[in-house]
Amino acid sequence: MAPQKVQTKRLPVTDPLDGAPIQLDQPGYYEGFSTLSQQAYWDDATRKVVLQRMTAAHPILFFTPAEAATMAAVLDRILPQEDRTAARRIALLPPLDDRLFHNRIEGYRYEDMPSDQDAYRQAAKAFEQMAQTACGRSFHELETMEQETLLQSLHAEKPTAPEDAWKGINIKRFWALLVSDCCSAYYAHPWAWDEIGFGGPAYPRGYMRLEEGQPEPWEVDEQRYQWAAPADTLTDTPASEQTGEKVQSQAGQGGTH
Amino acid sequence: MSLFDRNKPLFGSFGKPKDGLHHLGPLQQIKPPQRVFRDDEEIDYLIVGVGSAGGVLLQRLARAGFKVAGFEAGPFWDTERDWVSDETGSHNLYWNDLRITGGTDPLALGNNNSGKGVGGGSVHWAAFTPRFHPSDFEVYTQDGVGADWPITYEEIEPYYQLLEQELPVAGPAWYPWGKPHGHPYGPHPMGGVGDTLIDGCTKLGIGVSAGGPVAILSASRGDRPHCIYRGFCIQACKVGAKASTLVTHVPDALEHGAEVRDNSMVSRISVKDGRVDGVHYFDRDGNERFQRAKAVIVSGYAIETPRLLLNSACAGHENGLANSSGTLGKYLMAQAGNVILGRFDQPVRMYKAPPAHALTEEFYETDPKRDFARGFAVQTVGPLPIAFAKQMSVAKNQWGWGLRRTMMDYNHWSALGLLGEILPWKDNTVELADGKGGRPEARDRYGLPVAKVTFNLHDNDTKLIEFGKNKTMEIMRAAGATEVVQEARYAHLVGGARMSKRPEDGVCDKFGRTWDVPNLFVMDGSVMPTQGSANPGLTIQALAARTADYLISQGSAVFTANGRDLTSPPCRHSLSPPGTFTKGIPHLR
Repeated sequence: MAPQKVQTKRLPVTDPLDGAPIQLDQPGYYEGFSTLSQQAYWDDATRKVVLQRMTAAHPILFFTPAEAATMAAVLDRILPQEDRTAARRIALLPPLDDRLFHNRIEGYRYEDMPSDQDAYRQAAKAFEQMAQTACGRSFHELETMEQETLLQSLHAEKPTAPEDAWKGINIKRFWALLVSDCCSAYYAHPWAWDEIGFGGPAYPRGYMRLEEGQPEPWEVDEQRYQWAAPADTLTDTPASEQTGEKVQSQAGQGGTH
Repeated sequence: MSLFDRNKPLFGSFGKPKDGLHHLGPLQQIKPPQRVFRDDEEIDYLIVGVGSAGGVLLQRLARAGFKVAGFEAGPFWDTERDWVSDETGSHNLYWNDLRITGGTDPLALGNNNSGKGVGGGSVHWAAFTPRFHPSDFEVYTQDGVGADWPITYEEIEPYYQLLEQELPVAGPAWYPWGKPHGHPYGPHPMGGVGDTLIDGCTKLGIGVSAGGPVAILSASRGDRPHCIYRGFCIQACKVGAKASTLVTHVPDALEHGAEVRDNSMVSRISVKDGRVDGVHYFDRDGNERFQRAKAVIVSGYAIETPRLLLNSACAGHENGLANSSGTLGKYLMAQAGNVILGRFDQPVRMYKAPPAHALTEEFYETDPKRDFARGFAVQTVGPLPIAFAKQMSVAKNQWGWGLRRTMMDYNHWSALGLLGEILPWKDNTVELADGKGGRPEARDRYGLPVAKVTFNLHDNDTKLIEFGKNKTMEIMRAAGATEVVQEARYAHLVGGARMSKRPEDGVCDKFGRTWDVPNLFVMDGSVMPTQGSANPGLTIQALAARTADYLISQGSAVFTANGRDLTSPPCRHSLSPPGTFTKGIPHLR
């Protein structure tokens, strides 16, 4: 599908001819690369898991409709997708809702945190309270910039009023949980693999070009182009660079070695 | 089945799994386990947890003719049906049940360090298999910190040699650190991250071990194909090239009459007249049952082992079973596992090749020029997209468009892992979340109190991590990275039921026999008094093989007598799985 021109200033890619913002079916630098096109070379179990992820219907069961509206708006700011055409956006809320509903936890909870479920319920309420206090409207009705401003305050561990909305929650840990859940949903999707040039499932075929970033014959070389985050966004620079302060981040969660 | 079937892709299974067969890799197919002991049948050794240690013990004891059963809380994996080449789809490999984590530097658990299912942690380890150094066994004597082991390097060395053949380990013919040694299988080719480590270290004059040591096949052996470099090692190796006890030792155990009772959660060890007489457990349907046994070996790893012993408190053992020393659940250790990420102008594609394929132990030992004791290793890691996204959100403190932008450069990043020795401290603990003594209360689905884990860094640890992190960043820059960031984290878990020379200093003796209960053993990572900066997997398996030799030498004395014989057994070379140690290294059966 051809890139679609849209009426907004908030997109990373613009038409090289007229400068108009455009949406793409596949953002990233690997045009023409499709992990799904290789699915005949995947094993049965993997193919099933990945395809189910793309097609399964996910009724929202954990969040109430009001909470779902708030959280969907929050997730859209944590990993924004306005640069994607509407048909090629990756659903973030349903996997989170499904995880919480079925209590698929990561095997632990911090002693200074409530359960994931309680934390998200309180957070949905807190985001709404922050929005009402600051702007007098619901979080999901706010302008993108207003939403970013509220989230930025949470990221900086200084959430805007009301003060007691986050009582009982270690904000640093909740933020990590929130971003982590978004990453788990987005980067589990083959469209995201195409975007970043990740080869995807590789059994039983494997890889044979291991060095110097060489692509396999079925992978695609990087084709870089000008990508600039929306000029007014608060989220393209790390907080440490904005403030000049050294940010003490918390320890990571995942296993790598 | 011949590997060289012209009608099928080499080594591969592009079709569906075969009915009625249980797959342990694409080529190794077994009939589902048959033997089932009755609950009232008194088995010789009941092993709790069929992981790195439990799998080796099960295999050795079955071969020696004992009636032995391994109880495993998780499933008996069928690798073709249950495992996938996918990060999210591999969630079930880990111990995902609730635990509470706290302290000044709380540990992430779950997929960070805890396995569940037959094979345990060896299913999701990256399979780095460095040996411990001789100095690791006398840290207190040499440096006045930590603890000494009740054994020396020389006592475990024959078992390192044995397990390096059985897994087997691929790596360079000459490994210069610790006690120099070679490896039975050739080193693996380099991936992009390995090149990063080699380039950086070479510029700085630091030695590197390239292509291992890893328990990943660089050439096929028997019914296990060689590595295909797909990069999903820690999502479990569908290929069967990476060693896990599921594919290396459990099949031979079953062949020799062992039972694996999967989806069976042991809740309490039963003690009668000062001796263990069996275990209470919940079967796959959630029914509570009792299995009689002449002796019990707990191999549940550093959290579940102390938890089970604490949950088994009874009259005469009020503070937990085998805890007269008060050290049960204490001296828990994790290694510093900071991930150092560097961006290169040229693509790296770090998802190819095993995450584990090169390392340096140049900084392993205490250096008097530094202001801390002990040291660290630097190793390759290769985070896949989800893990990398989470790392970058922390390392660069990013979200929103910034995170999307960074992720679009995934293929330009390389990642090195610090593996730093954190010393054993008494205040790093596993306790019960039983609501007593100011502890929180949380219970699992069986109503058992879950583990409450507390972790605090001490001064030596903090200094070591700072130095090691900076050294790794220096290597990354020397390799040519134009942007270098890092994420603090921890890797591995050991300690919590340590072995000791004297009963007052630990939970068990040098063979894992608890000081308090003569027919109760602990054998897994929790017995380690210190941890070095080597990945613990190989040492856990070597210790388990040694304990098996000890138990075989003790014969029926363990089942009847209360005396303690600390004579070291001979290292038996006759108990290895077929086609491994005794027969050299054949490539086909």
